[in-house]
Amino acid sequence: MTGEPDSQPCGQTDQGLLGRQIASALDKLTLEKVSDVGLANAIANSAAIASGRSILALQDTPLMDSEDALVIAAGPSVHRFETARLIKESGFKGVIVTTDSAMAWCLRHGIIPDLVVTLDPHPQRIVRWFGDPKLTEETLVRDDYFARQDMDPKFREDQLRTNREVLALINALGPRLRIAVASSASPAVVSRILEAGMTVYWWNPMYDDYDNEDGLTRKVHVLNNLPCVNAGGNVGAACWVFAHAVLRKKRVGLVGMDFGYYPDTPYLQTQYYKEILELVGPDRLEEVYVRLFNPHMGQQFYTDPAYLWYRDAFLEMAQEAECETYNCTGGGILFGQGVGWTELPEFLSMCNS
Amino acid sequence: MSDVLKGNFKPKKPVEVEQNAEDISAQFEREALKRLGGSIAFVSKKKFLYGTGHNEEA
Repeated sequence: MTGEPDSQPCGQTDQGLLGRQIASALDKLTLEKVSDVGLANAIANSAAIASGRSILALQDTPLMDSEDALVIAAGPSVHRFETARLIKESGFKGVIVTTDSAMAWCLRHGIIPDLVVTLDPHPQRIVRWFGDPKLTEETLVRDDYFARQDMDPKFREDQLRTNREVLALINALGPRLRIAVASSASPAVVSRILEAGMTVYWWNPMYDDYDNEDGLTRKVHVLNNLPCVNAGGNVGAACWVFAHAVLRKKRVGLVGMDFGYYPDTPYLQTQYYKEILELVGPDRLEEVYVRLFNPHMGQQFYTDPAYLWYRDAFLEMAQEAECETYNCTGGGILFGQGVGWTELPEFLSMCNS
Repeated sequence: MSDVLKGNFKPKKPVEVEQNAEDISAQFEREALKRLGGSIAFVSKKKFLYGTGHNEEA
């Protein structure tokens, strides 16, 4: 059952039902998953935070000058279109905010982002986007995540060689990069960022209701006095929040913000395949993966519970944002009220006019 | 049950209560579900920022 989803029989009544139920529980489940490790990392990062600056210092940089931003995330659409060429040829003068997972792709394609964002507390995986100085063959045997992921195909290739190339790339360009690092980031990521000479701006992710005096958001804020940002569940959404709420952009375009998979993507290459397989077994995958028809593309995409939750969270946040949001991804499932749909050249042209 | 019946002595050996299979199964399922969770929390509130020191936070 690891073939192409479209080639598989689709249940009449159960398709995606379990996936939707899981998605509706992910607010609490994610909080349980990240609370302890997020707090532990915030404590472990205390010394670096105390000697660094907060994201509020971004408001004293030239990043505030323009009114537009383009968020580059690492969804599969980035690789299906000539995204890099379009951005470079447009002469886009707004701010480019990118996820850690899309950073190496940007740099390989000659795009220097104005701001990189990282937040995921995972102890081992995230550092790979920066080049992991401790990566070994044994690590690859233990965790095949990067051999399967669809965010950057380059990372699926000869992984040790790719890692060496990423290390060299980030070492060379690190001093030109600004990065907004969440206190929840793993010490391995923080160490690598500092080693590469990036300019760091610290922040806390919100964990729970900031009005709750006994909540974790307040606890972490008291610990380090950093501003707290509602990151929307994932680093792509966090980039968008940074663009409009911190950098105060009035118009924000999104690329690579698929929150889903193309129908020809094997389940094996989806983010949570192994976890889903372990949970329900091979015969019930169709109940977990959810299919959505994208009316703008006239095409069906499929997604997993986490990405569906990301989408719902994003659409909820979009209602409150004081910016115009244009999804220029060209695929995926992020469409709805508060999120305009346009092609990337159109958005870039709009910003340049 | 343990809320109703309370002993008035301390046993010499600690009593270990066996977890029933249903509890273990539910716990296993919750742990498995947590692994499907997102990268970080999402808070369903209107403000995007808290603790900036500004009165009007975004």
